Amino acid sequence: MTASEQEAIFRRWLDAHLGLMLKVVRGCAAAPPDQDDLFQDVLLQVWSSIPAFRGVAKETTWIYRVAFNTALAWSRGERRRREGHETFLKFDVSPQSQPSHAEALPEQEIVAQLYAAIRQLPKVDASLALMHLDGLSYSEMAEVLGISENYIGVKLNRIRLQLAEKMKGATDEL
Amino acid sequence: MNFEDFQKAWQSQDASAQVTINAEVLMKEVRRNQQQFQATIFWRDAREVGVAIFLTWYFIQRGLRTDSWTDCLVGLTCFGVGAFMVVDRLLQRKKQPLASDSLLVCVQTSLLQVNHQIWLLKNIFWWYLLPLSAALGVSVAVTCWHELDRASQLAGWCGYAVVCILLDWFLYWLNQTAVKKSLVPRRRELEVLLAETGNPVPTSTKP
Repeated sequence: MTASEQEAIFRRWLDAHLGLMLKVVRGCAAAPPDQDDLFQDVLLQVWSSIPAFRGVAKETTWIYRVAFNTALAWSRGERRRREGHETFLKFDVSPQSQPSHAEALPEQEIVAQLYAAIRQLPKVDASLALMHLDGLSYSEMAEVLGISENYIGVKLNRIRLQLAEKMKGATDEL
Repeated sequence: MNFEDFQKAWQSQDASAQVTINAEVLMKEVRRNQQQFQATIFWRDAREVGVAIFLTWYFIQRGLRTDSWTDCLVGLTCFGVGAFMVVDRLLQRKKQPLASDSLLVCVQTSLLQVNHQIWLLKNIFWWYLLPLSAALGVSVAVTCWHELDRASQLAGWCGYAVVCILLDWFLYWLNQTAVKKSLVPRRRELEVLLAETGNPVPTSTKP
């Protein structure tokens, strides 16, 4: 694979699956500098993984695998701060980026609470919760994690209860 | 609210809409990081192999020049230790987990690697400290035997033994501290992850 082909695939994946990568990053790291650090690691690993991608797995499954494995290795390792790197990522909190309709605000709040609740879960459970909320099927989750669909079913029942419990107080306030 | 409501709210978010990415800077950073990573790996390997090659060359050429079999012995020992490190590194590189492996495979492979690192450092005395100390010890003993009187021979041997024991003990302690502070906690984290996936933790990895 040539460098330009790799770059073309990377750019396409970035357009199509940026949201997925950001969800994993936010689900695993709370502070913005950590998110920035982890996001760079995820991008680097996604970039490096492209030559090995043969199209057998779905793109989303592949990217989930890379993102989760990177997030788990990142939290295990040292929090490296890249000195002198140029900032390419900017979280947009300007009024234009906010939804115009009033009911979207509680939804944003719910999503923020969900991220906070997910970060409290054990790591594998957090990965499952992220994929389940994104609507992945059991077989897709099994492919990403390498565990049986039956076990995923059992775990998801528990995770749903745990999330509901953690979200109880949060949604009451809204 | 039930889980379906959470799922609806979750899927309505457009995570990517809240970030702006400068694609050109990003590509530059990704390439720079990739080069930096490759350079780090290259220089680490070059340093280890380079030191082993230099020491092997230094002692063997000195041994051949002065017709000293003990220097040749030290040179060959350096070669042996260096070769062991290089072969081990090459074998371990083949077993490294890929970021695109499933999470379970990644955890299992990482656990094997951490266990291997622990084994390597716990046994550093046998494959690193003892061969080098013994070869240098033979060299010192023979030199003292040929060149010094009886009293100085004893002082030379004792001096080497003391320095060698202290240095070896310090290096051994340093490595065991690294095992305790860095590798064992990492192994524990991986074992927790493995248990979370519903897979039994191999008994050989349990502390």
